[in-house]
Amino acid sequence: MGKSTGMSRALVRRETIAGYLFLLPSLFFFVTFVVYPMFMCIFTSFFDSNMGKNAVDTFIGFGNYKELLQDKVFLGALKNTLIIVVVSVPTVCAFSLWVASAITDMKPALTSAFRVIFYLPVVTGSVAVTVVWKWMYNNYYGIFNYLFKSAGIIEKNINWLGDAKYALWCIILILFTTSVGQPIVLYVSALGNVDHSLVEAAEVDGATRTQVFWKIKWAQIMPTTLYILIITTINSFQCFALIQLLTSGGPNHSTDTIMYYIYYTAFKLYRYGYGNAMGVVLMIIIAVLSAIQFKLGQTSD
Amino acid sequence: MKKLLALALALIMVFALAAPSAFADDAVEITLWTYPIGQWGTQEVVDELIAGFEAANPGIKVEVQYLAYADGDDKVNTALEGGNAPDLIMEGPERLVANWGAKGYMVDLADMWDDTDKAEIFESLQDSCTNADGKVFEYPVCMIAHCMAVNVTRFEEAGVADVLDRENHTWTTEGFIKAVNALSETNPNVAAIYCSGQGGDQGTRVLINNLYGGTFTNPEHTAYTANSPENIKALQLLVDLPGINFDPAINGGEEIQLFRQGILDMAFCWNLIQQTNTDNNDAGRTNDGDEIEFMAFPAEDGNAKLGLGIWGFGIFDNGDAAKIDAAKTFIKYFADGEGTPGAIKASGFSPARSMAEGQDLTQLFADDPITTEYMKLLPMGGDYYQVVPGWAEARTAWWNMLQQIGEGADIQAAADEFVAVANAAAGA
Repeated sequence: MGKSTGMSRALVRRETIAGYLFLLPSLFFFVTFVVYPMFMCIFTSFFDSNMGKNAVDTFIGFGNYKELLQDKVFLGALKNTLIIVVVSVPTVCAFSLWVASAITDMKPALTSAFRVIFYLPVVTGSVAVTVVWKWMYNNYYGIFNYLFKSAGIIEKNINWLGDAKYALWCIILILFTTSVGQPIVLYVSALGNVDHSLVEAAEVDGATRTQVFWKIKWAQIMPTTLYILIITTINSFQCFALIQLLTSGGPNHSTDTIMYYIYYTAFKLYRYGYGNAMGVVLMIIIAVLSAIQFKLGQTSD
Repeated sequence: MKKLLALALALIMVFALAAPSAFADDAVEITLWTYPIGQWGTQEVVDELIAGFEAANPGIKVEVQYLAYADGDDKVNTALEGGNAPDLIMEGPERLVANWGAKGYMVDLADMWDDTDKAEIFESLQDSCTNADGKVFEYPVCMIAHCMAVNVTRFEEAGVADVLDRENHTWTTEGFIKAVNALSETNPNVAAIYCSGQGGDQGTRVLINNLYGGTFTNPEHTAYTANSPENIKALQLLVDLPGINFDPAINGGEEIQLFRQGILDMAFCWNLIQQTNTDNNDAGRTNDGDEIEFMAFPAEDGNAKLGLGIWGFGIFDNGDAAKIDAAKTFIKYFADGEGTPGAIKASGFSPARSMAEGQDLTQLFADDPITTEYMKLLPMGGDYYQVVPGWAEARTAWWNMLQQIGEGADIQAAADEFVAVANAAAGA
């Protein structure tokens, strides 16, 4: 018995070692490209760190963070980012759930076709997407102005991306179209995995379709909803490429986001410490919001 | 058998790793990163130029990488921070002198300029390529005076072609106002003050400075003067003129497209490359065939001061004396040697010097009538102020200011804010 236990322990040890060895490559990349940069980001945020061959980083404690609180452009970028998140996350989730519910009971070929259509903007490169949208928004020959003028909705052309009143909403619309693809695919899959015996039992008991959805299906797809909420929140907070390619934060800072301002500060002004401080603030905001979403999701579950 | 095969494979791999060093010749390998300066962004053209250099200098091999203006700076900065900077870089003083030179990354090229060079290289270019301490961070190769363009056909249709002095390519502010007013009767988009980003932003600066004789900085390049009464008057004029629209959604490149498409009647972002462009029609024609004339910017007395574009080579100090020497040989060949005519012709711009080792460069484009005509603008070249410290931040503040004014902000307040931000960046 004792010998058998010893062999079993040796086996367990070997399996454990093998397990860690398999983990090692991923762990190496995780530490090198996630943990270490994260640590350096936090570390550098306490320094006045600039580009220069002979530049010396000076420790300034929370100096960068204090400056952030007085930086009008940063506060404006934070406000814009929050608007994007607050508008984008619920609409993406609600729209995805609605579309998924509508297409999940269709014929398999039709469901697949819709999934492909909604997923296309996700797999299309950001540059290609922005080129098309920029053309549609164009002040002089864009299709939106043409259609709205033809329909008598507007009298003269609107400079969609050049007018602070509309620019951020134009960005949100593009972000919406590129964000709904993955949630729809996930929701279709989650709705397909709902336990049909429960649905049938509820229907036998006289539950309406609405009651079946909210009492049975909604509860079962909650983990998917939680995942979608978190990834959509993170994606919305990290909105960068659209801004960089379409507006560069303009007009008059009306489309600045924290991610774009970090890029501008670090790569155009070469203020690495200040840019990293913004990165840390963004990380904290995303972490707190994700934690809240997790907590609420678990409670609902 | 398997062990033998494994051993053979291992030996092949070791041999392959060792091979480059075992068979390497004594050639010094240097890298050149170039922005798309005319055809210096076209691989076939550059390959030919490099082949000529390597044939003349068998001890040096050159590897070329091509940068885009959209992300070129980011690539260079990342390489600098990572210790992988190229040996040579081709661009203008605003990057080589004001940015990377000021940050201590560039090699001082002052020893490459003897008295003959100083006599041959145009003086204003020498100043632009030299920092306040007298260090030369760029060896200029070519230059151009940026200008604007007008749709002559539209001017004729509106009956205002007479405001253009097409012989000298000049016109007055009064003529400009008359033309814009007339053109705006049939076209609500006569011209755009484009301000989405840095592409071609020199055009808006030079337009505003010239209308009433303003300047962008003081002569010492230590403080910005964009909020002077002359500049405010010019900005007010542009706000008030019908048909002139401040457009934060487009940059200079997009403005040129709109002009070529016939949507705009004027383009403020123009130079020789645009005038000789034959992509969609003959040179000097819009896509629809209207005649294009390149013009100096309007000024009260007609004597405009144009913005200069200067391009040349700089060397990053990577601490390898052999590579620095090889890079200097490269620069000598293309900026003042056998390869200079080819280098200038590839850029499509004008030479930065009159002679190069006995070769007369002033007649380089004698057989090209458009370029010869364009040379009339060169004496109008104005101050090259882009070497002010903190230029990147000032530049961004400039188009933010235009965006604010376009949205109806108080012009003086917006200009004052620009000057405050730009001066702070310059350390003034």
